[in-house]
Amino acid sequence: MSFFLETLLGGLMSGMLYSLVALGFVLIYKASGVFNFAQGAMVLFAALSMARFSEWIPEWLGMDNLLMANLLAIVVSVVVMFAVAWLIERLVLRHLVNQEGATLLMATLGIGYFLDGLGQTVFGSDIYKIDVGMPKEPVMMLESVFEGGILINKEDFVAALISAMLVLALTIFFQKTSTGRALRAVADDHQAAQSIGIPLGRIWVIVWCVAGITALVAGIIWGSKLGVQFSLQTVALRALPVVILGGLTSVPGAIIGGLIIGVGEKLSEVFLGPYVGGGIEIWFAYMLALMFLLFRPQGLFGEKIIYRD
Amino acid sequence: MFYRENGQFKTTYKSDQQVFAIPQDRWAILAIIAFAFLGIPLLVDEYIFRAILIPFLILSLAALGVNILVGYCGQITLGAGAFMAVGAYAAYNFLIRVSGMPALGAILLGGLTAAAVGIVFGIPSLRVRGLYLAVATLAAQFFCDWAFLRVKWFTNDSSSGSVSVADISLMGWTINSATDKYLFCLGILVVFSLMAKNLVRSAIGRQWMAIRDMDVAATVIGIRPMYAKLSAFAVSSFYVGVAGGLWGFVHLGSWEPAAFSIDRSFQLLFMVIIGGMGSIAGSFFGAAFIVILPIFLNQMLPLIGGLFGLEVSIALVAHVEIMVFGALIIFFLIVEPHGIARLWSTGREKLRLWPFPH
Amino acid sequence: MTIKTNTERITFHDAIATMEVDFANMTFADAAQVDTMYDEIESRLTETGRRWFFLVIYTDCVIAPEAWDRFAERGKNANINHGLGSVRVGATAQTRDAIRQSAGQESFRSNIYDSRDQALLALGEMRKRKRDMQAATEEAFLRVENVSLSFGGVKAITGVSFDIKRGEISSIIGPNGAGKSSMLNVINGVYHPQEGAITFLGNVRRQMNPRAAATQGIARTFQNIALFKGMSVLDNIMTGRNLKMKANLLQQAFWLGPAQREELEHRVKVEEIIDFLEIQHIRKTPVGRLPYGLQKRVDLARALAMEPQLLLLDEPMAGMNVEEKQDMCRFILDVNDQFGTTVLLIEHDMGVVMDLSDFVVVLDHGEKIAEGTADEVRSDPVVISAYLGASH
Repeated sequence: MSFFLETLLGGLMSGMLYSLVALGFVLIYKASGVFNFAQGAMVLFAALSMARFSEWIPEWLGMDNLLMANLLAIVVSVVVMFAVAWLIERLVLRHLVNQEGATLLMATLGIGYFLDGLGQTVFGSDIYKIDVGMPKEPVMMLESVFEGGILINKEDFVAALISAMLVLALTIFFQKTSTGRALRAVADDHQAAQSIGIPLGRIWVIVWCVAGITALVAGIIWGSKLGVQFSLQTVALRALPVVILGGLTSVPGAIIGGLIIGVGEKLSEVFLGPYVGGGIEIWFAYMLALMFLLFRPQGLFGEKIIYRD
Repeated sequence: MFYRENGQFKTTYKSDQQVFAIPQDRWAILAIIAFAFLGIPLLVDEYIFRAILIPFLILSLAALGVNILVGYCGQITLGAGAFMAVGAYAAYNFLIRVSGMPALGAILLGGLTAAAVGIVFGIPSLRVRGLYLAVATLAAQFFCDWAFLRVKWFTNDSSSGSVSVADISLMGWTINSATDKYLFCLGILVVFSLMAKNLVRSAIGRQWMAIRDMDVAATVIGIRPMYAKLSAFAVSSFYVGVAGGLWGFVHLGSWEPAAFSIDRSFQLLFMVIIGGMGSIAGSFFGAAFIVILPIFLNQMLPLIGGLFGLEVSIALVAHVEIMVFGALIIFFLIVEPHGIARLWSTGREKLRLWPFPH
Repeated sequence: MTIKTNTERITFHDAIATMEVDFANMTFADAAQVDTMYDEIESRLTETGRRWFFLVIYTDCVIAPEAWDRFAERGKNANINHGLGSVRVGATAQTRDAIRQSAGQESFRSNIYDSRDQALLALGEMRKRKRDMQAATEEAFLRVENVSLSFGGVKAITGVSFDIKRGEISSIIGPNGAGKSSMLNVINGVYHPQEGAITFLGNVRRQMNPRAAATQGIARTFQNIALFKGMSVLDNIMTGRNLKMKANLLQQAFWLGPAQREELEHRVKVEEIIDFLEIQHIRKTPVGRLPYGLQKRVDLARALAMEPQLLLLDEPMAGMNVEEKQDMCRFILDVNDQFGTTVLLIEHDMGVVMDLSDFVVVLDHGEKIAEGTADEVRSDPVVISAYLGASH
């Protein structure tokens, strides 16, 4: 029983990270109809930036205050991600307006490759650590409920808390601010939004900035848990089935889909894996997504896809 | 000056429908093929064969397959590597499990197996497109990665999924030297290219392009999307599967599933984008470009770095390489979606009219 | 017993559209004798320049086995070239066998009766059936019955019915959002109406897919041009021949006989259409590079390449200048004249419609508000208030 619960919780934790990446997908897709394959590269890029600046800044400034260094590194990384977002809009998206989805998809693949290369060229390609002072010690829980209790990392709690706050902040941003409302207008209808004077280019920069911030948050959490390395880039591929499951246009879908995939992966690996030779995590999620594609292409929460000419 | 059509009039539709309607083109292509068969084996050393020419030929074949699906039929695929793997492992199994099976037969049967698997994973294309289809093909990729690593039957119970094939032979001709391997691949590529050209200029090719360009109009003139799409998946996977068989049997000799990972899939897609979507010649340009670029960067970057007194590490070259790929993808999508092939044909068009551009 | 000459054996009954041939007491000993008789029949039939029902008297007629084949063949030819149907009287067992044998082979009904009166009665029935069938096919070339269509609760078409006659040019007109395009999409199977039926060439259907419509002979053009942008003009038009091309994948891959032959045959047909629409000079140009007016023409060419029975044109004149409109009008009239193609078009430009159309249906808010000839519709006060008043 405690083993099952631990597996479940482990699944929820990795599912939460998928949710964060999937959130990046959904934000950009809603506002620009672009499926951003580069989201994984952005997570890696942001994490690398965070890891390296938190290392470099104390060296440059000659200080040893961890909190201060981390705060500065976060600020610098946010600026870096904003610059990336601005450049992507400026150099790529602007020139591909009104292109087909498949073309845009391939363009973001190109962006992803470029960012992967750039990140490692600028920041290096070793394994780095991010230490934002997250509590590392594990705690025993539910000892009173059943024998042995379950073992949980405090870190995971903090991470869950941060993610929840991010989602809350985004919700407020979308519902309450004028920029947020403009974003939703663009999501509903590009041309209509343009015709009432919402500047598409600026909106896209903002959305990519927001996606950059979610990438940074995901990168910090993931990086402080497992270290920053190139394999982080594959997280986009892991999170892709999430948006199919949850629906490409739905923020709650991204979150719930992420949790379902995270838990499903872990449970299937632990309880089903041994019978078929193990290692089924990745394709299990994809097969689940494939079933959805065949029988419910809009996902759990997405808007129904209607092709009308 | 000699590249002129003046005075060449076509008096029958038949002559107008030839693969290369301009005689100069026809002669040039024949000359290139003759040179590839007769001249190159005399001129080139073993390293060039193994590092450049053989990979180029096999990847061209795979790119042709991907181009049929992506360029001609407009269906995106991120799982081409998986179909190469299916081709390679199926060919391997035909070879070791069917006694007396010739290598070429095994490779072709491997291609057919890949075609069948391609049809299965192509079924979602009947309901979804774009990103959603990309997800379906990724599912194929991850599933095949896993299956060849974990299901021992496919690899004849080898531990890490690695298998190897001894020297292969074709009707008494043992293919073991680099030259032999090169000629074997070249022969297959020439035949398959001609077949591809025939397909895209006949009714089925027009059906693919019609589905790609405007699927509603295509159904209205009686084209069945199901037949068009699944046939594109089948033909494409067949080509890619045969390329996979060649990659395993001829180029690598022994291989493991990682040889056909998702990076291979992306690489093949990039070849098509850079070379030219919807162009047979583009597949060759793209394959050549992607095979040669890393070698070129490996040679050039240290030299350039040296000029500025910088030491260029191998890791840095690798990073620059993927940056360059990423940048080129974006460049071609924005500036010339039809890739190098279009740049080439624009140049040729100019040559045709030169020196009078109007 | 007097012996009739061959000429005397042939009688035309104009009132019942019947030619009576009297083979009574004749003997056909060999093929030559059959030819003599049938040459006479054929030449008399050809003179009349029309088709007839045949009443053939076989009483005591003898056909030698050597002559059977020729007799059956000539009889069949006369039927194909000049006949509406045949009844036969009083054949001997032998002749009857001969007729039945050849009839069986050709799977024709033999229609053999004992007396001339019985045969005449049967002939009467046959004529009536034929007339009914003709009337039916003529009326229901295309019949739209009580069609309703809605998209997720939004009604696009409500209970619309009308008939289109073979060989005419008809139009559906109406203001924007009247349901014209939806109607066209229902007719060629892109949309499935929730209610009602479409009858085309006597086949009733509630739903069908676009391919089935194409196979039945319905072709269409599109309002905002749905050409295949990446392909040349020639290839675009060749796709219209798609349904008629039968070579399989392998034959195409190796460019084998059937594939190559087909490609050439259809190319000839396509070139005829290219000549007809005067687009020879652009046949190798990618359609994406063509000006709008020419693209519209290529769209029409692709539809014509299907050799349709019914041609649906979705705003063929939209966005054209006066000269291009005149060209397009001329092409539509020529298609109708030369190929006998029935045309149904929807159009915004009233002037054009009124000049072209034999028959006009007016839609407004998804309902039919009027139908009739151009003049009738023009003077209909409902139409004037709903449509003409609003847009002019």
